[in-house]
Amino acid sequence: MPHEPGLRESVDARWPAGFLLALPSLAVFVGVGFIPLALIATWSFWSFDPDTYWIKPAWSFASYAALFENGRATVFLRTAGLAALTATASTLLAVPAAGLIGLLSGPRRAALLLALFTIPFFTSGLVRAFAWRLVLGRQGIINNALMSLGIVVTPVEWLLFSDFAVLLGMVAAYLPFAIVPIVLAFARIEHSVIRASQDLGAGFWTVFATIVLPLVLPGIVAGFLFVFVVAVGTSMEIQLLGGAGASSISIMINDVLRVVNFPLAFAIATVVITLLTVLIIIANRALRLSRLFESLGI
Amino acid sequence: MSFDAIVRGRTSGGRLLFTTITALSLAIMYAPVLYLLLASLNPDAQLGLVPPSRYSLKWYFALLDDGRLAGALKESALVGLATAALATPIGLSAALAYRAMTRLRGVFLLVILSAMFVPGTIEGLGLSATLRVVGLAPSWVTIAIGHLLWTLPFAAVVSLIGLSAVRPSTIAAARDLGAGPIRAFVDITLPLMRTNLISSFVFAFLLSLNEQARAYYLAGRQNTLPLYMFGAMNSGASPTIYAFSGTIIVVSVAVVALVFAGLVGQQSRRPRQAPGKTSY
Repeated sequence: MPHEPGLRESVDARWPAGFLLALPSLAVFVGVGFIPLALIATWSFWSFDPDTYWIKPAWSFASYAALFENGRATVFLRTAGLAALTATASTLLAVPAAGLIGLLSGPRRAALLLALFTIPFFTSGLVRAFAWRLVLGRQGIINNALMSLGIVVTPVEWLLFSDFAVLLGMVAAYLPFAIVPIVLAFARIEHSVIRASQDLGAGFWTVFATIVLPLVLPGIVAGFLFVFVVAVGTSMEIQLLGGAGASSISIMINDVLRVVNFPLAFAIATVVITLLTVLIIIANRALRLSRLFESLGI
Repeated sequence: MSFDAIVRGRTSGGRLLFTTITALSLAIMYAPVLYLLLASLNPDAQLGLVPPSRYSLKWYFALLDDGRLAGALKESALVGLATAALATPIGLSAALAYRAMTRLRGVFLLVILSAMFVPGTIEGLGLSATLRVVGLAPSWVTIAIGHLLWTLPFAAVVSLIGLSAVRPSTIAAARDLGAGPIRAFVDITLPLMRTNLISSFVFAFLLSLNEQARAYYLAGRQNTLPLYMFGAMNSGASPTIYAFSGTIIVVSVAVVALVFAGLVGQQSRRPRQAPGKTSY
C-alpha cells in the first residue's frame, strides 16, 4: 500500500495530542524497561553485602574484572557465535521464503504463507523446543528411520543434546524474525521496475540478483540482526537441547545468581544490553529500520 | 499491505527452488510439533508412534487430575488477562500517538519496538531487582508488569495496522458534521478497529501465556504454566507432559488461526482506498 502523505495532516491538534497519547506507552518503556536496566547498570559497580545477601554501595570494578575469569568470556563468544550461525541459517532460508511470498505469490497465498510462518511464534517456545527431543533422540523418529533403513547400526548420538540440536531448535523458533522484515522489504519494491527489466529481456535470475536483492538488502540485514539479537538472549533451546555443560549468556546469569553474586549478574546484563543497543543504533542509522514499517502502510 | 505476484511466467527453476526451501522451512517449524501431537496419543508409557487404531486420549484425561497444573493454569490465566487488558489500550494509545506525531515518530516507534529485543532473562533480572528495592513482593502482579513491556510492541503494531485502514476523510467528515475528537474516535475509529483490538488482546494474552524467561525471575511461590512445564520437561518426562504440550499447541494455533482469519476477512471486506486521493 503506498504511503499517503495526506494521512498525517488529518489529526488536527498535533503535537500536544501526540505527546499525551504517547505518555502511557512511554511510561511503561521508561518505568518497566529503561529504569530497571539503568539501575542494574549502576548496581553492577556496587559490591555484594554478605550481611543482607544483597548489594551495598561500595563502588568497584571487580564484577567487570570477573567477566574475564572462569571462562566467562568464552561463554560470551560462544553465545555470539551460535547466534550468528542461527542468524545466517535463518536468513538463508528466509530470503527464498520471503521471495516466494513477495514476488511469486498472489495476495491470497502470500497471506496464507505469512500466517503459517508467524502462527508458531504465538505458541509455546518451550513446547516447540521440547518437540525436537522426540525427533532427534536415541529413539527419535530420525534414528529409528536411519536404523530401520540399515544406514546406521547404533543410534546417532550427536543429533540430540548437541550444538546441532540447539541450532536446529533456534532456527525453527526464530525464522519468523528474519522472514517478516524481508517480506516488508519485498513489499516496498515498485512493480514497474521489475516489469521494465523483464520487458527489456532480463530473465528471472538476472532480475533477482541485479534488481531485487539490492532493493531488499536492508530487510535482509534487519532480518539477520533480529534473529541474532533474539538468539543471543534466549536460553531455553540450550537448556532443553544442548549438551552437558552447554552454556549461554542467559544461563550464565542464572548460574551466577544461584550463588547470589548480584553485581556480577548485573555486569553481564549491562555488557549485553550495551552491545545490543549499539548494534541496533548502528543498524538503524545505516538501514533506516523504521522505514521498513512503511510497507505496512502505517 | 498488498501483494501481487509481481514476477509472472518462466522463472528458470527459481519458483521450484524457492518453493522447496519454503517447504523445508515450514517443515522444520511444524513437523516436530506434529510428531509430538501424534506421540501424545500413544496410550503406552513408552514413547513413539502407534497405529491410528490405538490412538487414545488417556494422557489428556490424566491432566485433569493434576492439581499443580490447575494452579499454574489459574496463575497464567490471571497474568495473561491482566497483561492483555493493559497492553491493548496502551498499544492503541501508542498507535494513535504515532499517527498524531509529526516529529520523532520514527524514534518513538523504535523505542516502543525495542522492548521486543531485550533478552527476557535480563529484563526479568532488572525488573525483579528493581521491584525488590521498591518493596513489591513477587506475585502474578509482578509477572504481569514484566509481560506488559514484552507484549506492548506487538499490541502497538497490530493497532497501527488497524489504524492505517481508518480513512482520514471519514474522520474529517465526522468532524465537519460537528463531532468532537472524542466522539469521532468512539463512533468511527473504535468500531473500525474492532478486529484489530481483539487481535491485539489475543496476541498479548498468548505471548504472556507462553513466556518463561521473565516469569522465572518475577514469579512468586505459584508457578506459571511454562515454569511448571519446564520443570516437568527436565525431570524424567511422564507422558502427561506430551498431552499437556499438545493441548497448549492446539489451543494456541487454533486461536491465532481464528484471529488471522478475522484480520484477513476484515481486510478483504474493506473498500480499497483510491491511491493518492485525500481530498477532504
